[in-house]
Amino acid sequence: MCPFCGLGCDDLTIEEEPPSTLTVRSTDCPVAREGYSRTTAAEPPRVAGVAVPLAEAVEAAAAVLAAAQTPLVAGLGTDVDGARAALALAERLGAVVDHALSDGLYRNLTVLQRTGWIATTLAELRNRCDLLLVAGPDPAALHPRLFERWVAPAPALQTPPSREMVFLCGEPLDSTRAALSGLPVTVLAGDPAKIEDAAAALAASLPDPSRASGAAGIAAGDIAALAERLVMARYAVVAWAAAAFEGPHADLTVERLVRLVRDANRHTRCAGLPLAGHDNVIGVNQVCTWRFGVPLRMSLAGGAPLHDPHRFAWARYTAVADAVVWVSAFRPEVPAFPTGQTVVALAPPGTAFADEPAVFIPVGTPGIDHAAHVFRSDTVVALRARGLIDRGLPDTATVLKAIAAALPQEAPAC
Amino acid sequence: MLTKLAGGRIYDPANGRDGAVDDLFLQDGRIVADPGPGAAPDEVHDLSGRVVMAGAIDIHSHIAGGKVNIARLLMAEEHRASAQEPCGCVGLATPSTYATGCRYAQMGYTAAFEPAMLPSNARHAHLEMADIPLIDTGGYLVLGNDDLLLELLASGAGEEAVADYVGFMLNATRSLAVKAVNPGGINAFKYNQRRLDVDENGPFHAITPRRILTALAGAVQRLGIPHPLHLHGFNLGVPGNVEATLDSIAAVDGLRLHLTHVQFHAYGAEGDRKFSSAAARVAEAVNRRPNISVDVGQIMFGQTVTASADTMAQMNNAGLAHPKKWVMMDIECDAGCGVVPFRYRDKAFVNALQWAIGLELFLLIEDPWRVFLTTDHPNGAPFTSYPELIRLLMDRDYRLARMAELHPALPEHTILGSLTREYSLGEIAAMTRAAPARILGLSDRGHLGPGAVADITVYTDRPDRRAMFEKPDLVFKDGRLIVRDGVVVAFLQGRTHVVEPAYDPTIESWMARRFDERMGQRLTHFRIAEEEIRGGIGLIRHACQPGSF
Ligand code: SF4
Repeated sequence: MCPFCGLGCDDLTIEEEPPSTLTVRSTDCPVAREGYSRTTAAEPPRVAGVAVPLAEAVEAAAAVLAAAQTPLVAGLGTDVDGARAALALAERLGAVVDHALSDGLYRNLTVLQRTGWIATTLAELRNRCDLLLVAGPDPAALHPRLFERWVAPAPALQTPPSREMVFLCGEPLDSTRAALSGLPVTVLAGDPAKIEDAAAALAASLPDPSRASGAAGIAAGDIAALAERLVMARYAVVAWAAAAFEGPHADLTVERLVRLVRDANRHTRCAGLPLAGHDNVIGVNQVCTWRFGVPLRMSLAGGAPLHDPHRFAWARYTAVADAVVWVSAFRPEVPAFPTGQTVVALAPPGTAFADEPAVFIPVGTPGIDHAAHVFRSDTVVALRARGLIDRGLPDTATVLKAIAAALPQEAPAC
Repeated sequence: MLTKLAGGRIYDPANGRDGAVDDLFLQDGRIVADPGPGAAPDEVHDLSGRVVMAGAIDIHSHIAGGKVNIARLLMAEEHRASAQEPCGCVGLATPSTYATGCRYAQMGYTAAFEPAMLPSNARHAHLEMADIPLIDTGGYLVLGNDDLLLELLASGAGEEAVADYVGFMLNATRSLAVKAVNPGGINAFKYNQRRLDVDENGPFHAITPRRILTALAGAVQRLGIPHPLHLHGFNLGVPGNVEATLDSIAAVDGLRLHLTHVQFHAYGAEGDRKFSSAAARVAEAVNRRPNISVDVGQIMFGQTVTASADTMAQMNNAGLAHPKKWVMMDIECDAGCGVVPFRYRDKAFVNALQWAIGLELFLLIEDPWRVFLTTDHPNGAPFTSYPELIRLLMDRDYRLARMAELHPALPEHTILGSLTREYSLGEIAAMTRAAPARILGLSDRGHLGPGAVADITVYTDRPDRRAMFEKPDLVFKDGRLIVRDGVVVAFLQGRTHVVEPAYDPTIESWMARRFDERMGQRLTHFRIAEEEIRGGIGLIRHACQPGSF
């Protein structure tokens, strides 16, 4: 079960070549190939650049965090257990909490919180959808096997089984074209910065396609034809990967798409498919929401969780945080933090840092070094990925629990 | 360690005790027989004058899984408004897992069951339930709109094959019971049908809801699952839906059936407003047929959020959303979910009558072993309103006073004013402890006899029953004191209750093929391993008795 992009492919053949090098044989998915190939040998933790035993690194991390006034627990590229431990630590510290990749997620969640939506999941797409409208850049750039696994097979639960694709304000990648070969694909290559205009024009012309107007560089006739096709569809799906949208107000693009889906439901069935999900961002958000009643981008500083998607976005909050716990168990990349900031980093061995963190603790990757729960991109399905090799690396949850246990003890609340 | 609870008034209907004064002894998490005069308890609680019951059990409360998290996301402003509570327990209609466990325990509950676990979402629901502290949990598996089952039925598969399918699914998803939500309707909605009659063929699989209902009720019996089919019926919330409810009772033809949140399914279409109470008809049918049980799904006034797998019904109600936002999802060829915030207003006629219909049902159904106290949390109201509901059932004067504050046209549309019944403490104990344990097959819970798990709640007997049930003096879970005077004093983890009915595994090869072809997930990965439930500790298996019902 591949844990990397949130599509949950469970058909991979992975071979181990000693010593602990993994090679994916069954697919050329670039994300999986890269993810599984990062199996650098374990290395010891470091405190201020000096190699130390794990217990010492844990003590050092607890010491710097106990002194923090405005801590941030972020990155959160980890599995469900890692997320539980990170949130428990954040609660102890009174920290702000966010995931490295929640930008794309928030473009969607903001709209869900504002208006709600009609959405669907991958198996519905695969088995029922007869018209797939992809809005904006091809999501396969982020979720490489989307078309191969969920769109190319004919819908089993429609008679007759037929499917066509329309790409709106975005071009299919070559790999997508190859996966869809033989199926009808229409490309309406409008301005990718104006997807919302195209969506609005489309929604407006649903009741009467003959009155369609052009938008985002797409001719009125093309909008009219698509509107007609949408109304005629038995089960249309509008898919997008918001992380790939341009501009600072991409949530407004999402909102237009969500409205288009709602309007189409006055005539037929239509559902949105907001795609997100690298590094288990969906799963971490789920855990945060059930644990605290509010999603990511929240602060535990006042004792009670306070959610504010603007203020508590990690990239913004690093400016005021005096200590950062950064968890990146899926990838050996950690952002550059302001010089002099106290950073406790949990990441795979071999991670390169712009500045040596105060404490670095190498951890295993979920689904490689240990079994793990991650969530699929469509939020509904939780997946269980097996552990494949043993590099002798601890998992995130174990390390974070140890740090929390090393903090000065206090009475439990409630 | 031996603990003695001395001299309490014991309400233990499973063992025929109705307020007699007695001692209880606890050892190693269980209730034990009186060890005799020579024994020296390590700890004694003097309970003289106090009321002692088993820990309460909620058979129908949406506490975990995808729709609950969507509801939390949607109700962010509620969390902001309630974020001032010093302990960090936020949210009323959509509490966090932490708050859910604390609030239930503080009310004397030691178990609550999630009644709508979709197969595809079961792993998530279990991960979430594991984070609810203090109480036991479990899930009922939603079937009856899953394309695989409908396909199986449409192919003419016999009862045995259907039972094998249901048996596999219960085992694979680690479920306790089978739930059917608007059988056929959610599936039909995916083909743009906005309603489906009980005897109308579905749009794709050409199977009627009646056939799905009887097939599932039959499979439950064949597998010997203790809990009868848990049915969320047809036409939820639609005036006149009582006919479909009575028809469902008739359809199962003597098989056991549990009708859930029956308040939402006991509506007539009579009178000047084309909306009337049909509680008396439903109650009469329940009273006459011992194979039928119900929970009420009482509504209480205020803001809440409705969360249901019944997308067909929820889509019809979406226009009433307050605040004006809602979520619908079609899910994994299993079912769906609809989340619609709602505010029940006491001055609105329809809401006032819904309130009265719920109470009429409670008061007209005679057997407290077959009617259960629920609000369908959070659909009718948050579960935290149970103490108020208990007061309404136990105190007629209070009920009448409350009724007088509601919509002025209410009295002429309800017989509630004429109902004099007041529930006794023994009946409350049956309805909230003994009966839920029995109908779920939890043989060592819900009672206080030797061998029972020491889940115990101790109350001060107060005339104000709301105050009494809101804040028990002591709550024990597995023999450990977890709540004292309304304050959580110790945290521990609950357990997960499941059944594992036997079935013929040859069904699995058919299913494995279907999973490969359709679900994009292998059957082996769909199956939830034991070690995934609460880290491998905490499964409690309950016996199935094929053919015994
Ligand atoms: S598409 Fe995603 S889940 Fe599938 S193999 Fe590639 S990275 Fe893994």
